[in-house]
Amino acid sequence: MTTTNPYTPFLSEIKAVIKHTDIEYTFRMTFSGDAKPGQFFEVSLPKFGEAPISISGIGENTVDLTIRRVGKVTAEIFENYVGDSLFLRGPYGNGFSIDNYIDKEIILIAGGTGLSPVKGITDYFSAHPKKTKGFTLIAGFKSPNDVLFKADFEKWKKNLNVILTVDTPIDGYCGKSGMVTEYIPSIPVKNIDDAIGIVVGPPMMMKCTIDELLKKGFKEANIWISQERKMCCGIGKCGHCKIDDTYICLDGPVFNYTKGKFLKD
Amino acid sequence: MGYQINKTKMNTLFTDLLENYTIYAPKRFVGGGTFADTDCIRYGEISTLEEIEFSEKSDYSFKEVLLPISETLFYFTEAVMKESDPPLKEAIVFLRSCDLHSLNRLDTIYLKNGPVDPYYKRLRDHTHFILMGCENTFENCFCVSMGTNQSTNYDAYIKVTAEEVLIDSHWNLLDQALANAQPFTVVPDSVSINNISVEIPESIPQSVFDSTLWDDYTARCIACGRCTFVCPTCTCFTMQDLFYSDNGKAGERRRVWASCQVDGYTDVAGGHAFRENKGQRMRFKVMHKISDYKKRFDNQMCTGCGRCDDICPEYISFSNCINKVNALVKEENR
Amino acid sequence: MLDLNTKKIKKNAYRITKVRGETASRIRIPGGLLTADLLPKIQEIAETYGNGRIHLTTRQGFEIPGIRYEDMDAVNTLLQPIIDQLEINQVIPGKGYTASGTRNVSACIGSNTCPFANYNTTDFAKKMEKEIFPNDLHFKVAFTGCANDCIKTRMHDFGIIGMTEPQYDKDRCVNCQACVKACKQKSVDALSVENYKIVRDAAKCVGCGECVINCPTRAWTRSTKKYYRLVIMGRTGKRNPRLAEDYLVWTDEAAIIKIVKNTYKFVKEYIDTTAPGGKEHIGYIIDRVGFKEFEKWALDGVEFDEKTIVKGPVYWSGPHYD
Repeated sequence: MTTTNPYTPFLSEIKAVIKHTDIEYTFRMTFSGDAKPGQFFEVSLPKFGEAPISISGIGENTVDLTIRRVGKVTAEIFENYVGDSLFLRGPYGNGFSIDNYIDKEIILIAGGTGLSPVKGITDYFSAHPKKTKGFTLIAGFKSPNDVLFKADFEKWKKNLNVILTVDTPIDGYCGKSGMVTEYIPSIPVKNIDDAIGIVVGPPMMMKCTIDELLKKGFKEANIWISQERKMCCGIGKCGHCKIDDTYICLDGPVFNYTKGKFLKD
Repeated sequence: MGYQINKTKMNTLFTDLLENYTIYAPKRFVGGGTFADTDCIRYGEISTLEEIEFSEKSDYSFKEVLLPISETLFYFTEAVMKESDPPLKEAIVFLRSCDLHSLNRLDTIYLKNGPVDPYYKRLRDHTHFILMGCENTFENCFCVSMGTNQSTNYDAYIKVTAEEVLIDSHWNLLDQALANAQPFTVVPDSVSINNISVEIPESIPQSVFDSTLWDDYTARCIACGRCTFVCPTCTCFTMQDLFYSDNGKAGERRRVWASCQVDGYTDVAGGHAFRENKGQRMRFKVMHKISDYKKRFDNQMCTGCGRCDDICPEYISFSNCINKVNALVKEENR
Repeated sequence: MLDLNTKKIKKNAYRITKVRGETASRIRIPGGLLTADLLPKIQEIAETYGNGRIHLTTRQGFEIPGIRYEDMDAVNTLLQPIIDQLEINQVIPGKGYTASGTRNVSACIGSNTCPFANYNTTDFAKKMEKEIFPNDLHFKVAFTGCANDCIKTRMHDFGIIGMTEPQYDKDRCVNCQACVKACKQKSVDALSVENYKIVRDAAKCVGCGECVINCPTRAWTRSTKKYYRLVIMGRTGKRNPRLAEDYLVWTDEAAIIKIVKNTYKFVKEYIDTTAPGGKEHIGYIIDRVGFKEFEKWALDGVEFDEKTIVKGPVYWSGPHYD
C-alpha cells in the first residue's frame, strides 16, 4: 500500500502484569511515543478482534493498559497473554491535558474502570504535589473485590486527599461505602470559580456526579469528562462512536463539559 | 468531448475496456428481490450495454463498489499478518447524479475525517465514474431540494437512445478510443422537479432532540437497517476477526457494513447500549443526515436519492420526517 | 310434474337441495381468483333464476341457491361466458359443468399479493384444474404459498405447500441476524451463526423463505427453482378425519401433476363400485389396499428432482370413530 495503513498494529512487549481483581489486570506495555492519560489504544488480537483500552499509566518507554475481562477479545488476552506481547495500534483520542489543571484545586471523581483514564493525572499530582492547590480523588467501586490499583491508593494517600468508597461493602471491609456523589458536598474548596472537576465513569454515575459538582458551584467550563463509546476503528471511519457532529475517537474521549453536555447519544 | 455512436460500437468499446477495467452498473437480478418472483436492482459486473438497468432506480447504491459489504483487511497465519491485496483491475462505475454527489460524502469520511483510509483510497483512486442521466424523477427522489440533481465531475456521461449512444467524455482514454466517432453536443439529462421536496432548517435547536416527534418511530421502526444499507452516504462498519473453522491457526480481520438502526450498534464491552429506543435511533440518523454532518463538514450529508423511503418495509418516510422536523423548528422559532 | 335424473343433475354441478323443486348451481373458480367483470354475470343468474342470494363456498366457488330445476338449461347458457373466461375444460359447450366429482382446485392468495408466498398459487391451481377437470372422481386439491398453509391444504387429498431453497451470499451478509431471529421466532430455528456468518441446517429448513424476506442486504435470496411440499390424504368426515401427511419434500411441479393424475388411475382401478353413489374417497381406498400399492401407481413414470425427499411409507393418524 502506498498510504501508511493505520489499521496495521505494532507488536508491543508485555513488561509486567499487575492483577487487581480476578477480571482486571494492568498490562505494562513497551511504547516509546507520546501518550497522554485519557488516550486509548486498540489492543489488537489477530483472529479475535480489537478492543479500545484507556492508558492507565505512562512510564519510561511504557504505557499501562488496564484491561477488564468483559468480552471475547479481553477474555483471550487474559487467557493467553503468556505469549508475552500484544499487538497495539494508537494512541488515539485527545487525552487529558494536565496543563489545564496545574495550580488549581482539583476534585477527580472516578467510577469503576473509569479510574484508568484518569490514573495518569492522579499519578502526576502525586508525584508533583506542589503543582496543585488541593487534589481530591473520589473513587467508587461496586464492592471491595472490584477495587483497582490498590497499591497506588496506598501511595496516593500519602500526599493527596483520597476517598475510596464501595457501593456494597462485604464482611471484613472497614473502608468507606456509598455513592461517590455523597462525598462531594463535604470536600472543602477555597476558590470554587477556579476549581477543576474531572469525572469519568458509567453514564449514570457521570450524570449524577456532574449535577452534584454544579450544585456545589463548579463552573461548567472547569468540568472535564471522558466518554466511553463503542469504537471499531479509532480513526473516524467506523461511525460507532459518533455523537452529534463529534467523533469520540477523534475529538474526544475527553471533553470540556461546555461541549460534553450537548453530546446526546 | 461529445460523441454519438451506435450500440454495437459501444459494446465493442466495453469489450476493450474490460481488458483493464471491471465495469459495475445497476443491474436487474431477476428473482433476486425480497418476495417471490420479484427482482432486485443492484450493482453488479456488466460486460454489455444491455445489462445496465437505465429505466429504474437501483434498490441499492453504488457504494458497495468502493466499500464492499464485507471487506477483508488482513489475513493472519501463525506468525504473519498480511494486508489483503487490492483488485487487479481498475473499476468503472455507472451512477446517477445523486450518487455521484454521494461519492463526495464517502470521500469526506474515508479520506478526510481522521487519517486516510488506505483500503478505500486504493479503490477510489482507481475508479472512474460514468454518469447516467435522469429524464424524469423517480417516486421518492428529492435531489432537487438537496441540490444534487446535476453533476459535472464525471469521467463520462452516457445516454442510450432508441438507436444510438450519446457520450460526453471528460476522460482521455475514451476520447482516444472515440477519435473517429461522430462529434455531437451532449448535455446530461437531469431533473428539475421531483414529486417530493424537503426543507431543511438552517439550525436545529436542542429541543428537537427531546421532541415527542420521535416516539412515533419507536412504535413503527423494526430496526432492520434497510434504510442505511441502501443509503449511498451511510458508511459505518464493524470489525470482525475470525479463525477459519477448518484451520484454527489461520484467520482474517474484515470490516462489514454496520447500521445505527440495528441492535448492537452502540453496545460496549460489558453490556451497556446507548440507544435502545428505535425512535432515538431514527433521531440519530435523521440528525446525522440533515444537521450533524453539515456542522462538521459544511455540506449536507443526505443527497436525496430517496432509497430509504423506497425500501422501508414499514413505510417510514425519511423525507417526510425532515419536513416534520422543519415544521417543528418553525413552530419553535415563531 | 318433475321427472329428474338426480345423478345427472349432480354431475352437472347442481345440488339436490332440501327444497322440493329447487336446485343450486355451483360455479368453479380455480385458484380462487376471478376478474370483477364476472361478478355481474353471477349476479344476473342469482337475480334472474335464483333467490337473489349467493353463497361463498369453502372451496372458493359460488353457489347460487333457489334455482328451479326447469331453469337449468337457461342457467347453463348464462354460465357459459364464466366457464369460457375462466378457461374451464368443458365436454359439451353450452351445457354447464360436465362433472362435479373433482372439486374446485383452491388456492391461497399466493404470490400475486402475499409477501410470504413462495409461488403463484393461482397459476399452479389453474394448471392443475386443466389437467384433472372434468372428472367424476372425488378429488380435493389445494395450493398454498408457504408453510403457514392458509388454505389448509392439510385437509385435502393433495396439498401443495410452496417452498424456496434459500441461497446465501456470505459476502453480502452483515451479520445483523435478522434472518436468525425470524427463523427462530416465526419458523423452525434452522439458522445459526458461525464466524459471523450464517449456517443453515438444511435438514431442518422448511423452505418458508422468512430469511429471504427479512434479509436487509439481499444476502439471502430465493432459489431460481421453485420447490413444493406435497402432503397427501388429509380429510374431514365421519369415520376418520385426519391431517394430510408429508409425502414429498423439495419436489417440483411436474412430479406433483404426474402423481395426482396417476392417482386417478389408481382410484379407477380400486374404487369400490358398490359404495353408495359409487363414491369412495381416495384416502379410504389407500387405507384398504395399502400405501405400497398406492405408491406403485402414484409414482409410475415420475421423475424426481435431485433434492426431493420421499417420505414414504406414509402413516396417518386422526381419531377413528368407526
